[in-house]
Amino acid sequence: MPTDHPTGRETQDNEDATFLERTFMEQQAPLTRYAAKLLNDPDRARDVVQDTFVRLMQQSRAAVAGHTVEWLFTVCRHRALDILRKEGRMKRFEEGEVERVAAEDPRPGRAIEAAETQAAILALIGRLPANQQEVVRLKFQNGFSYKEISRITELSVTNVGFIIHTAVARLRTELAAQRP
Amino acid sequence: MNAPLFSPDDPKLTAYALGELDEPERSAVEAQLREDPAARATVEGIRATAKQLEQALATEPMPATSPVRRPAPRRSSKLLQFPRFYYVTATLAAACVAVLVVIRQPEAPEARMKFVEPEPVSVMMSVDTSVAPTATKDAVDLPQFAARTMTAPTVAEGVANEMKKEHTMMQPPAAAVAPPPLRDASTITYGRMVESRGRAEAEYQSGAVAKQRLHKSVALAMRERSEVDLKSNTEAYAYQAESGFMDAAQNPLSTFSIDVDTASYANVRRFLNQGRRPPVDAVRIEELVNYFPYHYAAPAASDRDADGASPLAVAMEVASAPWAPEHRLVRIGLKGREVTMAARPAANLVFLLDVSGSMNQPNKLPLVKESMRLLIGKLRPEDRVAIVTYAGNSGLALPSTAVRQAAEILAAIAELSPGGSTNGAMGIHLAYDVAKANFISGGINRVILCTDGDFNVGVTSQGELTRLIGEKAKSGVFLTVLGFGMGNYKDSMLEQLADKGNGAYGYIDTKREAEKMLVEQVNGTLVTIAKDVKIQVEFNPAKVAGYRLIGYENRRLAKEDFNNDAVDAGEIGAGHTVTALYEIVSAGTQVPVAGAVDELKYQRVQPGTARGAPESASGELLTVKIRYKEPAGEQSLKREYPLNDAGLGFAAASSDYKLAAAVAGFGMILRDSPFKGTTTLADVTAWAQAGLGDDAGGYRSEFVRLVKQAETIQP
Repeated sequence: MPTDHPTGRETQDNEDATFLERTFMEQQAPLTRYAAKLLNDPDRARDVVQDTFVRLMQQSRAAVAGHTVEWLFTVCRHRALDILRKEGRMKRFEEGEVERVAAEDPRPGRAIEAAETQAAILALIGRLPANQQEVVRLKFQNGFSYKEISRITELSVTNVGFIIHTAVARLRTELAAQRP
Repeated sequence: MNAPLFSPDDPKLTAYALGELDEPERSAVEAQLREDPAARATVEGIRATAKQLEQALATEPMPATSPVRRPAPRRSSKLLQFPRFYYVTATLAAACVAVLVVIRQPEAPEARMKFVEPEPVSVMMSVDTSVAPTATKDAVDLPQFAARTMTAPTVAEGVANEMKKEHTMMQPPAAAVAPPPLRDASTITYGRMVESRGRAEAEYQSGAVAKQRLHKSVALAMRERSEVDLKSNTEAYAYQAESGFMDAAQNPLSTFSIDVDTASYANVRRFLNQGRRPPVDAVRIEELVNYFPYHYAAPAASDRDADGASPLAVAMEVASAPWAPEHRLVRIGLKGREVTMAARPAANLVFLLDVSGSMNQPNKLPLVKESMRLLIGKLRPEDRVAIVTYAGNSGLALPSTAVRQAAEILAAIAELSPGGSTNGAMGIHLAYDVAKANFISGGINRVILCTDGDFNVGVTSQGELTRLIGEKAKSGVFLTVLGFGMGNYKDSMLEQLADKGNGAYGYIDTKREAEKMLVEQVNGTLVTIAKDVKIQVEFNPAKVAGYRLIGYENRRLAKEDFNNDAVDAGEIGAGHTVTALYEIVSAGTQVPVAGAVDELKYQRVQPGTARGAPESASGELLTVKIRYKEPAGEQSLKREYPLNDAGLGFAAASSDYKLAAAVAGFGMILRDSPFKGTTTLADVTAWAQAGLGDDAGGYRSEFVRLVKQAETIQP
């Protein structure tokens, strides 16, 4: 590791460090899970998340105060999409592909009867279109509001509402259909 | 009764149910709901579903493990477009190229080749001039890992073509991700990189305490989870088509660049030891064969001609192919001049270390550190070592330091810890800058990149990175790429970097492998004795109906490239051996060709008389022509070595020959090659045991064990 050159910012740095460390401990896991879903690659997700925190360190606390978590998700999302774009992998999420490529595992549908409800729900979520999955996770897994999701994903609030509504309606129907 | 005020399909209901409406909208909806029991039921349903979703999503594992497989790989229809690729294999010292030719009995060679190879060329330029052999010392190259370099004018095209064939292998339940497609290489923006680098350095300079602490937390957290990630696999391998038999009358010349890489063998071994068959594209037969030291004679001092002493010796042998006894198998072996520790030039080494989060696994960064310590132990006091790290930011972890101050170097190594994401480009800039700043004229100047190849965050695409490396290689600084780890190992990426960087490429999976490359063969790893080494074999159609080069799929050159000094080829390090094998079908025998070519409409080619009647005057089977440059030279030298076939059977061949044949057979089985015939792993074991020889280092016995291990694994 490089040796440090103490600067006048050191005291400030130490205060920041506590804040950063806490934020990191709290948010690193949820961010990684989110990024892993976007990237379909936990290793890269970890790198993206670390990069996100490195960027956080470069921010003044004032700049992110009050919306640090939203800020983290926004940056994380940008980084992940950058990677997908660069690698031309956006098409991985095309309709039907997830099911096709995952076909070596038992089909989600078959596992459902026997599986726990939660596993069944996750399987159903996993079959939503990618944009619905992402927004559903931001809402129900990460607890963001429509407005926050709108800022993270650069969708309009109305659009976010419509996506969530569509996804929830579909899931509700599918869950009801599964009940014996 | 009122009509329902809400359609159950109104997003506003969902928003209300989830508490997303602000006043006064919320009150308005509430008022309406009082009148609309159906809508109230809908709201309840939505809330119940939302709760279920929250509960279910909370159980979702933190690092996602859902496998996603990339759809069918794109394969190039042009399997073997020769000029597409020029590599220079930069390797260490001795190279042995073995060619095995298999000959079958009589039949007219009318079969056509599966792939189009160059037409016969009757005149070869023989202009090699004079490069003083003393220049040898100047060059630094790594032996034992093969490096390939592409030629300037066709680099972009070559890379692009290569990438087209990219193919990703998956290990269920893991997902493989092919490396990103290359952009047009011309998109590199040097200015931007310089800018980023400046920023990175500035960040490094200010090296905040907070950052270090954070990195430590990150490291800690990562460590806890790294094992989980072992399950996921995003390794990437480039698709390699296997070449078929060529018709010797129509294509009497076979041209390729040497390859002294050994990464594939270590990687295959890693898979087998884990109880899995390696992906087909991870198996490069020439790298398997070249992993083993062979006992080819080093160039004798007396081996000199008008060009001076040769840095290379050639050892050829021919017998029957064990997997097809009616065919002949020709081994062409090259061995590079030995260089002693005392005689080698001073070294200026810059380690470029990937310390990103993905390196935080026991077989990655800790093994890198171990390897560095091993190498430092083999350096002389006046040699210099620097360490550049790259992650989210690049940093100079150790300025160039003489090895006599070993304590400082070791302390810097000990302090390395993973953290941050990977930005390869900034690190590359910094590493080459440090190497150039400490350049030893006439010495060994080398950047040693240690990574799992996961250059995933940063300013560059893969195309930009490889182009950047190509630019940097012009500075006279050579590159060694050492791959580590598993799970998201980017084989194709690393091979390309080495190709472009006058480099060699090795894979280190264990401390033992590190010892082989960095201790036993350290001079080969560090000292280049010849560069741009190309081999061209001319077959005598009077003796040979068809031939097949085994392996070297991505090293093949057009026949014109042999005499074109602008075309890069492989480097060879001190004491290293390179082996190539040709399977040969004897004249008069039907050549097993996969697909026949249509009769030409405007030309009539008489079987056996194409380009004139076969020259029956010569009893030679073939002639091997070697072309190479002195490490600091610009003009190539050429040497020729004819071969006669005494008709030996496999049993009468040398142990080196038998082992090489066994390893090639093993590779064909792992690749499920159509040419393997009825060869079984038991056959391979028998051949290898016949080829154990004195087995210095125990590598051959290990191979026998590995074959047995493979027998226990279902394909």
